[in-house]
Amino acid sequence: MSYRPLIGNPMPQLALHGVVKTYGQTRALDGAALELRGGEIHALMGENGAGKSTLIRILAGLEVPDAGQITMNGAPVALPSPAAAEGLGLRFLHQELQIVSALSVAENMHLTHPYPSSGFGLVRWGALRASAKAALERLGITHIDPRATMGDLGPGDQMLARIAATLVDTKGPRPWAYVLDEPTAALTGAEAERLFAALLTLRAAGHAILYVSHRMDEVLRLSDRVTVLRDGRHVSTMGRDQVSREQIIQDMTGRDFATLYPPASAPTETAPLLQVRSLQSGILRDIAFTVNAGEVLGLAGLSGSGRNHLLRALMGAVPRQGQVLIKGAQLGHGPAAAWAVGLAYVPRERRAEGLMLLQPLADTVALPHMPALSTAGFVRRAWIAHLVARLVQTVRLKAQSQAQVAAELSGGNQQKVLFARALAGPPVVLLLDEPTRGVDVGAKFDIYATIRGLTAQGVGLVIVSSDLPELIGLCDRIGILHSGRLTQIVPAAGLTEGALLALCYEKEVA
Amino acid sequence: MVRFLRHYGTLMGMAAIIVVFWVLLPDTFMTARNWLNITQQVSMLTVVAVAMTVVMVVGDFDLSVGSMASLAGIVAAVLFTLGFSVPAALAVALGVGLVGGLVNGVLVSVIGILPFVATLATLTMYSGAAFILSGGKTIFGRDIPQAFGDFAKSGLPLGSLGDKPFVLPWLTVLALALTAVIFVVLELSTYGRRLYAIGGNAEAARLAGVRVTFLRLTAYGFTGVGAAVAGLMYAARVASANPTQGEGLMLNAIAAVFLGMTLTRHGQPRVLASVLGVLVLGIMDNGLTQLQVDSYVREVLVGLIILLAVSISALGRKAIGRR
Repeated sequence: MSYRPLIGNPMPQLALHGVVKTYGQTRALDGAALELRGGEIHALMGENGAGKSTLIRILAGLEVPDAGQITMNGAPVALPSPAAAEGLGLRFLHQELQIVSALSVAENMHLTHPYPSSGFGLVRWGALRASAKAALERLGITHIDPRATMGDLGPGDQMLARIAATLVDTKGPRPWAYVLDEPTAALTGAEAERLFAALLTLRAAGHAILYVSHRMDEVLRLSDRVTVLRDGRHVSTMGRDQVSREQIIQDMTGRDFATLYPPASAPTETAPLLQVRSLQSGILRDIAFTVNAGEVLGLAGLSGSGRNHLLRALMGAVPRQGQVLIKGAQLGHGPAAAWAVGLAYVPRERRAEGLMLLQPLADTVALPHMPALSTAGFVRRAWIAHLVARLVQTVRLKAQSQAQVAAELSGGNQQKVLFARALAGPPVVLLLDEPTRGVDVGAKFDIYATIRGLTAQGVGLVIVSSDLPELIGLCDRIGILHSGRLTQIVPAAGLTEGALLALCYEKEVA
Repeated sequence: MVRFLRHYGTLMGMAAIIVVFWVLLPDTFMTARNWLNITQQVSMLTVVAVAMTVVMVVGDFDLSVGSMASLAGIVAAVLFTLGFSVPAALAVALGVGLVGGLVNGVLVSVIGILPFVATLATLTMYSGAAFILSGGKTIFGRDIPQAFGDFAKSGLPLGSLGDKPFVLPWLTVLALALTAVIFVVLELSTYGRRLYAIGGNAEAARLAGVRVTFLRLTAYGFTGVGAAVAGLMYAARVASANPTQGEGLMLNAIAAVFLGMTLTRHGQPRVLASVLGVLVLGIMDNGLTQLQVDSYVREVLVGLIILLAVSISALGRKAIGRR
């Protein structure tokens, strides 16, 4: 059975206009627009929080917009459910692929289709493999054996097999549009090349591809058009001939953020609190920097640059080599040693890495400080109650009591529990990983105020954030990470968001 | 309504069971003698259940406690026949319990085997060792020192009750003492709070400086020693040791902790709740035996009670999760 290209039929076209979506008080989308055409690779760009994910969730039928029109070939359509999106021929490939590692490639490719079977319900394995092989070949892929076990394939080949799986069914309604969300995040260079080749094959056959990525050079290389969102609004849609790196960055950024951040107070002293020399861990190589008292060092970089890993390595959560000095003394290995000398940490994933969700919040706050809150191995409840009462005030945590469990708190208050824990030491150096991720605006300001209060007391801070205005607004200096290397450290004063983003992308240009 | 049932269902069920037995057995059930008897009957199960609570706090469990209890009894009895003194034999038997428990801990925490698989394997190993040491026979009679058996028959005199002396059996005293020890360890010590943290979120605990691997390992030491103590109590009570006498302890201990978890606010294992769970099982057993209910029927009823309590708890959690 040969694969009929879609070309020849009139090119399908899906358009969204004036899309509005509100969550509580936050307006995630406020006039977003996007148009997908067959035979075109369309890149969707925007900063974190610009509304890309929400727009994709609407396309996938996972969210229903509050307002806006969706049209397919000019006729109004609705996307009330994932089934409706599938019925319109849309297919979604997420970073975390839905695969069954233990089954073969051919079986994985038939999970949503009936297996070819004989009259008695027995699988015809030969036909199953032939069907999978044919689908792979339609993408120009010959190096994947349909009999291989899915879990043995690299992430790139798994993704190719998943794309090919959408081409297995040659009789039913044909998928015509693919949405790929950060598809190359986990891929090697060679795997990414294979993916690009497959995408170009799909485009040549008349499919539409919506490509969401932070990687500027991929976007510039692959896309026929680029749409930029900012603060939930459609900013621009540029054709291949108009698009440039500078224009995209300018469109992604450029808002007034100076007033959001409390002014920095002058540092009280300048003794180095944290000194890092030739640190190696995971992809990190030769990391060296110093944080002084009352100073805030930001770490910026694309996802996969190693910025989160750096904080985990400093905490001793992952093995590291090289020197880490706290107030001039060598830091021992393991998180216990880090907490003991006043290195405190607010992890990125508060639910997975920070909180005991069903335990009293006072217990979570006290946990790393047990040695100081006990005598002869017995917990001093009164000390903990006193300490937590003070910290609850400091971080403006809103909870019914110290015995309330974290699961009952809002995201912002959960984050404040972890701030209270980090402040309990008290800290010498505080490491913050995405400190305001997923918290509401009010809690965000409380957290900024807490950070300013700490620098006034001479605490040193290291902040990793993908919210660039936040980094510029809070930090004294910002270190730029490129694939595991700290390439430069720049003063934050006078830095614009566009300039910082350009620094993050710089290595890719060269 | 669902929330109310979830929080107080097990307690109300316990009260209902007591009332039913009181009515059906007006002369014998609600007497001091019978309650003393119940405490003695459940003393071994109490020791195993409170020890089991320690590993369940961490989020694990230990299936090998029953065969460890048998093994400890056999070890002591074999040492008695070899002429060891009572304290020496008991010390060795408890040492076997500690080592057996720590072996489980190493398998689960250091090597990383699922608790179910690791302790299932050691269950059969410890049971096999008990058979090998005893030659498959019950050790009894003159081999067992008089003092060892007498311990289980006597108790702490606490004045008199009517015309009879009121004596708290030593087995009950021992169970109470060990419960108090585990209570102090879990509720008052930093060690116990760290175990709860591991059970709540192991990765978060690790990042907060808790030595997860080591502490998780040590928790199994408690079940090993607890099982050995229970095995010795049983051997003293029947003044003999037999390689299968710990059977049934494991399932009942886990059931008791689960029943106890239905009593706590967020479904966590707590020592005193586990003791209440043990009492529910003990009262059921005592009352149904007195009513001369067939022991097979008894097992079905006990299983039903456990399912009922845990179902109400699970449904309640769902209802709260939907809010």
